[in-house]
Amino acid sequence: MEDIRIEHLSKDFGGFTAVDDVSLEIRSGELFSFLGPSGCGKTTLLRMIAGFEIPKTGRILIGNQDITELPPYQRQVNTIFQNYSLFPHMTLFDNVAFGLRIKRTAKMEIIEKVRYMLSLVKMEDQSSKYPDQISGGQKQRIAIARALINDPKVLLLDEPLAALDLKLRQHMLIELMNIHDAVGITFIYVTHDQGEAMSISDRVAVMSRGQIIQQGPPDDIYERPTSIFSAYFIGETNLISGEVTGIEDEYVQVKCDNGAGEFFEIDSTFHFHPNIGQKLTLSLRPEKIAVSRFKPRHQDDINILRGVIEDILYLGSHTQYIVRVGKLKFRVFSQHKRVYFDEKALDWEESVWLFWHDTDTWLIAEEVDENGRNQDFSTEAPYHRALKRSSPGSE
Amino acid sequence: MNKQHGYLNLSEQKQQKKLNLQSWILTAPAMLWLTFFFLVPYLIVIIYSFLTPDIYDIRFEFSLESYRQIFSGTYLRPFLISFRMAFLTTILCLLLAYPVAYFIARSKEKTRNTLLVFIIIPFWTNLIIRIFSWRIFLATNGVLNDILMQFGLISAPLQIMRTDLAVGLVMVYVYLPYMILPLYSVIEKIDFTLLNAAMDLGANEVKAFFRVTLPLSVTGIFAGSILVFIPALGAYLITQLVGNQKSLYIGQVITYKIKNIPRNWPMASALSLTLLLIVTLLLVGAYLLWLHNKKRKF
Amino acid sequence: MRAAKLYKSMNLSIFTLVMIFLYIPILILIIFSFNDAKIIVGWRGFTLKYYAQLFQNETIKQAFWNTMLIAGLSTLISTAIGILTALGLENKSFSGRRGLMALIYTPLVIPDILMGVSLALLFNFTRVNTGMITVLIAHITFCISYTIIVVQSRLEGFDYSLVEAAMDLGAKPSAIFWKIKFPLMMPGIIAAALLAFTLSIDDFIITFFTSGRGFDTLPIYVEGTIRRGTITTINSLSTLMIGATLLLVVLTKRIRGSLFNL
Repeated sequence: MEDIRIEHLSKDFGGFTAVDDVSLEIRSGELFSFLGPSGCGKTTLLRMIAGFEIPKTGRILIGNQDITELPPYQRQVNTIFQNYSLFPHMTLFDNVAFGLRIKRTAKMEIIEKVRYMLSLVKMEDQSSKYPDQISGGQKQRIAIARALINDPKVLLLDEPLAALDLKLRQHMLIELMNIHDAVGITFIYVTHDQGEAMSISDRVAVMSRGQIIQQGPPDDIYERPTSIFSAYFIGETNLISGEVTGIEDEYVQVKCDNGAGEFFEIDSTFHFHPNIGQKLTLSLRPEKIAVSRFKPRHQDDINILRGVIEDILYLGSHTQYIVRVGKLKFRVFSQHKRVYFDEKALDWEESVWLFWHDTDTWLIAEEVDENGRNQDFSTEAPYHRALKRSSPGSE
Repeated sequence: MNKQHGYLNLSEQKQQKKLNLQSWILTAPAMLWLTFFFLVPYLIVIIYSFLTPDIYDIRFEFSLESYRQIFSGTYLRPFLISFRMAFLTTILCLLLAYPVAYFIARSKEKTRNTLLVFIIIPFWTNLIIRIFSWRIFLATNGVLNDILMQFGLISAPLQIMRTDLAVGLVMVYVYLPYMILPLYSVIEKIDFTLLNAAMDLGANEVKAFFRVTLPLSVTGIFAGSILVFIPALGAYLITQLVGNQKSLYIGQVITYKIKNIPRNWPMASALSLTLLLIVTLLLVGAYLLWLHNKKRKF
Repeated sequence: MRAAKLYKSMNLSIFTLVMIFLYIPILILIIFSFNDAKIIVGWRGFTLKYYAQLFQNETIKQAFWNTMLIAGLSTLISTAIGILTALGLENKSFSGRRGLMALIYTPLVIPDILMGVSLALLFNFTRVNTGMITVLIAHITFCISYTIIVVQSRLEGFDYSLVEAAMDLGAKPSAIFWKIKFPLMMPGIIAAALLAFTLSIDDFIITFFTSGRGFDTLPIYVEGTIRRGTITTINSLSTLMIGATLLLVVLTKRIRGSLFNL
């Protein structure tokens, strides 16, 4: 099998380091995603694999072949471009046939293969149309067919769904997974949309400032982030800074300042060995916290805090509460399941209890820096919003 | 703004009429001007072509003599010479202009405008001066011959002035910007990720150029060729100032018939109309070819 | 990638050659305007005497003023007509639009010489004395198409939300025109005027057909002088005209954005 190995890859553009000493391995047949905000270097990395950029240092290997300096047309790698880059002066058939014609494949074979490819992407009845006569989703399919017809070992997808609307995006995501299963080759997927990356990938690499912050299966990254960045970029979370006061079996006790001069303690699981007195950060996903006006029965493995509801946002599938605890603000998601809580809806300025299981708190061995304190993160979340707003993939 | 009542909104219609009237008033000066000084003169040319020449003027007597001469082929040679030269000029301009336009279109955005200004400056310099400077350069005792003789490359001056070579050189020189600018504006709009896509699909640089860039710049090639070919076909000044007086181009023939004595205005009119007809046919042909090229548009 | 570099350097060298091709004759002309010789021969030493002669030559002075007069007037009139027409053509459902567009574009694709011939015959037919007026009419006729197209192309890219914003803020139609639309059209108008001016100064053939004896513009004068073979002052005259062109280019660099939208 032909895995892709990337060794110490770096690239800079006029002093700006786009990719900074990245090493990783992508297994053959895998659907691997690079996830990160715009400007994090993921597209540059992809372009180096495709051959459009030559790295400053490092190597790229497919199997045992070093492809670092091969021109794009000598690599068995094909790309789905962000805007699909279909040739506007050719019919869909000619677009798909392009690679084979370049290779001077026999006419009959071309017709046969193009037909097969078009049927794979369910476009067989539109082959004589031109790219400007079809929709975005259809262009996407043609781009896939045009790439796959060359039997690449690796298919690169550069924000392939960014130009589509929400419904179509979800549909194409499933389609992409089906195609991946059907052809069985390696897919490398670049996106800034964590939802896409989480749902489609076998493994995800989270990137920031040209480096890989964390890589692993999607659930691993979501449930067990190793850094504040991955905890924060993937999904939503509450970040609380604290200090280790005790370690007991697989649990840690962390003392947290609520900002109003009071302290409370949270129990947490961990993935590294903290020391007593170490300052660190707790990550607590909003959907893991329960909120109620009644105090829950005390249990050993449950954390309980008392707070006041400051804001309520009804979001259809769930409601988001902002709960004030001292000066900290917690973001809490509560699903509308009457079978669980038979109570009246919570109201503004109502005093409530927050509680969650110890294992749902996750410890990160980093400190939130001074100007990014907890309350900024959890209610205003300027960083997160800025990311969402920024245009997709413009790196 | 349209109300969905199922009946026509009268004030909306009124407004449309008012806007239409306003457009007629605003465009009236241009319409009248172009009618009187562009369309009507051609009517007069048509009338004159059926009249009888006079040494100094024209006689209002019906005659088909001019057309008889044209159909008998007396003036075939000037037309052929002009055609050949316009064709060669267009091809040469295309070959030179394409790399230049491509180079400018692919250079950094900031430098593009500066490079374009350099292309345009000669274009803005007076035509007659530019032709004149070529006379200094190419003359028998001109700069080029001086330099070549200084270096001992030739022993006797080359006769370039007053040859077709000189006419061709100057024509390419004068009309080159007309080819570069439309080519540039088309090439500049080509999405260069398409070239990446072609290379990704296995095409090397040469193949990517011939299969993607060139077909996508066809519009510019057409526009540029028309902008070069048509004025080159009717050129007078260049052929007059650097051309050989023994083989006259059509522009010279027409001008002589108008300006020189004995005058022959019916002949000039008939020749002008023939040239107009040829140009029209060419344009229609180019348009059809272009349509054919774009047949995909439904 | 290396091949791409090769093509780039090939393009660069062709570009350089074309630049040399475009500028060599002009440079030679400028150098030779300082040459102390009566006819076209090699270098005979530096002199300014032909510049002095230039300023003493009454015929040249007259031709210069004629050129400026014709260029100024035809620019003024053709630009004014261009503005009006472009505004009228803004209405896409205007019933005369297609016809007028055809009328505007046709002169551009027909050789100049035919316009010269047809106007010459028009003035002969109507028995108008050729001179300043006929040249002016001819120049306006060939400038109109260009001015209309340039101003119109500027209006094409016009952002109508600005007009709506102005209306929303309470501006009356006249205020909208003078405060919003006209200032935004200005670069297009200047570009059109400059183009008309250069075309007018540059024209030989149409002027040749429509000017009578006694009304020479500079190109007509230059051509006549070249034909008669006394060319010494032409070098210096040409150099001054090239200088004026360069000055014009530098001055218009500010609005070049709209200049290239031709």
